[in-house]
Amino acid sequence: MTAVASSAWVSALAEENLDAAYNLGRWLLGNEHDAADAVHDAFVRATRSAHTYAGGNARAWWLAIVRNCCLAALKTRKREVPVMAVETIVEANADTAANDVESSAEVEERSRAIERQLRALPVEFRETLILREIEDLSYREIADVLEVPIGTVMSRLSRGRALLQKALAPRTPEGDLHGL
Amino acid sequence: MDCNEAARLLEPYLDGELDRDAARALEAHVDGCAECQAALANLGRVRHALRAEAPRYAAPASLRERIRRENVATASAPRVRPAPSSWMRLAAACVGAFVAGAAVMHFTQGAGDARDQAARDLFASHWRALAATSPVDVVSSDKHTVRPWFAGKVAQSPRVTDFADQGFPLVGGRVDYVGAARVPVLVYRHDKHLIDVYVLPADAPAGMSAKRDGYSLIWGTLDGERAAIVSDLDAGELARFESVLTASK
Repeated sequence: MTAVASSAWVSALAEENLDAAYNLGRWLLGNEHDAADAVHDAFVRATRSAHTYAGGNARAWWLAIVRNCCLAALKTRKREVPVMAVETIVEANADTAANDVESSAEVEERSRAIERQLRALPVEFRETLILREIEDLSYREIADVLEVPIGTVMSRLSRGRALLQKALAPRTPEGDLHGL
Repeated sequence: MDCNEAARLLEPYLDGELDRDAARALEAHVDGCAECQAALANLGRVRHALRAEAPRYAAPASLRERIRRENVATASAPRVRPAPSSWMRLAAACVGAFVAGAAVMHFTQGAGDARDQAARDLFASHWRALAATSPVDVVSSDKHTVRPWFAGKVAQSPRVTDFADQGFPLVGGRVDYVGAARVPVLVYRHDKHLIDVYVLPADAPAGMSAKRDGYSLIWGTLDGERAAIVSDLDAGELARFESVLTASK
């Protein structure tokens, strides 16, 4: 691939998957500013290293770079400032969440609850669940993004779901489930 | 299959990572095991919470602009335009629906076709049925036999009509899984081709048509409910079937 072609390729790839990248960044870093910075860094890095792309799933390649930039930012931040309290993050996110499909206070309340529980999960479970459930990646793709074996993806998903299920249990009364 | 083995397979099943035979074997076990049914429902609940209730953050316009500027600075080549449907995709990705109380139909538009979980589930279900000894659980061309058969097996029996006059005789019905949801399926025939009609709740999100390995998925409505139609019929005949189904009273 020529330099020009690879640059155009990375742009198309990044733009196509910008929401996925930013969403991952938000879930890893918490706030809009850090997530946007990390995705921007990732884009610069991806453009420079496009020639190192060795085939395979392009989206996973791009998200792996985004994730590495997020983890680097997390490391720096741990040295500098204390991480925002979960409550503050949830507060800060309320505006964005409201732009989505929420219509009633109840839906919003449930959305906040799941968000809080998800953020409370250790990062390795959280990111695996985000990639599987929200970004709809396959086991293979998640393994490529996280650079771990598929078996590890499966055990993290399983553990993450079990933790979340436990945390959410009192919030989903049987009455919510029609047809079961 | 025992419960230990089933427990190991429930999540890969829900994630669409099991092959047809393994999925069929698991379903056979789950059908007769209340404990595994409950476990599957619990997993479906967690999935619903994540897909329908957890926020998916959209990249802010400012970030999009930054990337664009970066791009202009580093490359003077004409840019490859991505599909301009990011908002549509966001909206679609944000919306999940709880189908029959256990599974989520998850639709994304644009480049995500291949990962469209719902389409994958529907194709997988159709192929499993074709591979099974019989694609129907109740064999009858009589709508008065098929409809009551569904009662008690699914939350709501679909309306059943025989379209033999239009060239699509009713073969029978079955109850099948789409993801973790049990839904009624009406089976029709046209020449040697079988047509599966999955009747989904009216509030299931509208899906997109899809093609895989010579099979097509298109969408229609049946008595106000959403109907996903899967078959290897050619496009023209399939479209005709869809209009017959949707127009039926």
